[in-house]
Amino acid sequence: MNKDQDLPLRNDIAARFVPKIIILMVYLGTLCSTFTFFMIHSTLLWEEKLTTQLSIEIPFFSDTSSNDLQTQVTDLLQKTPGINKIEVVSKADMETLFHSLLGEDTSVDKFSLPAIVDVSLNKRDTFDVENLETRLKNISPLIQLIDHRLWQSQVSNLLFTSTSLALLLTFLILCSTLVTTFFTTRTSLLIHRKIVEVLSLIGATPSYIAKQFQRNTFKQGLFASSIGAFLAFLTFLGIYFLFEKAGHTFVVTTSFFFEALAIFILTPFITSFFMMLSARRAVMKALCS
Amino acid sequence: MSEVIGELLGVGHQYDEGPEIFKGVSFYIEKGSFHFITGQSGSGKSSLLKILYLGLKPKWGSVKLFGEDTFQIKPTLLPLLRQKIGVVFQEFNLLDHLTVIDNVSLPLRVRGVDIKRSYKHAGELLEWVGLGDCLKAYPPSLSGGQKQRAAIARAIITRPQLLLADEPTGNVDDEMASKLLCLFEELNKSGTAVLITTHNQRILKKFPYPQLALREGTVFQLPVEKKAS
Repeated sequence: MNKDQDLPLRNDIAARFVPKIIILMVYLGTLCSTFTFFMIHSTLLWEEKLTTQLSIEIPFFSDTSSNDLQTQVTDLLQKTPGINKIEVVSKADMETLFHSLLGEDTSVDKFSLPAIVDVSLNKRDTFDVENLETRLKNISPLIQLIDHRLWQSQVSNLLFTSTSLALLLTFLILCSTLVTTFFTTRTSLLIHRKIVEVLSLIGATPSYIAKQFQRNTFKQGLFASSIGAFLAFLTFLGIYFLFEKAGHTFVVTTSFFFEALAIFILTPFITSFFMMLSARRAVMKALCS
Repeated sequence: MSEVIGELLGVGHQYDEGPEIFKGVSFYIEKGSFHFITGQSGSGKSSLLKILYLGLKPKWGSVKLFGEDTFQIKPTLLPLLRQKIGVVFQEFNLLDHLTVIDNVSLPLRVRGVDIKRSYKHAGELLEWVGLGDCLKAYPPSLSGGQKQRAAIARAIITRPQLLLADEPTGNVDDEMASKLLCLFEELNKSGTAVLITTHNQRILKKFPYPQLALREGTVFQLPVEKKAS
């Protein structure tokens, strides 16, 4: 005799379809939360690599004035407060960039390429870009200042929106699961109304009756959500290998892999715990009102 | 006067728009008392018991149990009040999916007694009521009399302060009926107030306790009959 068998909940009509719904919900929810973590992880990784906020283009002149301009610009930058680091893009880096765009055979020497100086700013200080631009134009009106922060913030906003949407979707899926559990428990209470009534009349507290539903829901939830999470894991692996095969880079670092693994393992427990609370709420609300 | 554990004042009831079953019913249940509730079929005996075991809210009047007004009491405190009452239902209300021993030990389990102890206690009691060989049987496989005895065992297993029995001898022969009444007497001697509905005249004669007769919608206290030999 198990303590949770005062009510014959295992043979419920509801027990036949609820696990299938939970499997689907957890499958979608797990994929969604994995995607959310992937977005957060990728955004952080990308932001970490973003060290250059400004770039300065110094035009190429056939005589030696290009070098003079570069010296004047670097001198000015070194004297300007709020700048963390300046770096002149080397010829080798330029070649790498060009080869990736125009092919390995392209020689950089054929082009009159401008010199590029990458500037990293101190993140804590506010920086007056317009003032720097004016001073650069005083050196040569042909010098160009490119502020990367504009498009960087646009991409950041886009990533933040995508992450938030994925998070919202995960939350909505969890809510749907809990609402389904709540109403299934209410239906189950109606199905077993007579037994619940007898239990109440012999002195069972609403909490005692709720525990019976809780245990059953937890077991059912853990079983169904484990299947859902496992299927999501297989899908994740499928996507990973598909991307790999297609030659696209799918950024899965070791830390993200462990995060994803934690999601797949913890989701069944978290889901069934909340389902259990939902079942308790449904019973207590019905019996204490 | 000994302690009053139950008090009905001007209680009346009607189901939906039907006729009044009874009205202005007032009586006290003292601690350790023994009463029969008599009356013809449909006189409202079972409804009166239902009101006492908090399974029915009367339309009129007030009901106090163990000093608590049942109309005012918080829903969370109702189970605690019910735990002081043992009920033998007319339809037995045994749970068909549980074995007899699980049914009988249920009131102990809902009070937090561990399964092993509750089984031991239930087993002894079932042995006493003659169901020792039906411990693992399921209620649908039992006869009416066996169900009756299992229901009685479930009602008294917690040694309640108030025992309410709705026609507890309705499905058993006279010998078993007397045996069960003796059990109720034993329980009564240990301080449990007993209230039994019956229309079995032989029982009423053999066990001469005060009778509350429901007639024409109200209750009358009848004199104690002379004990039959």
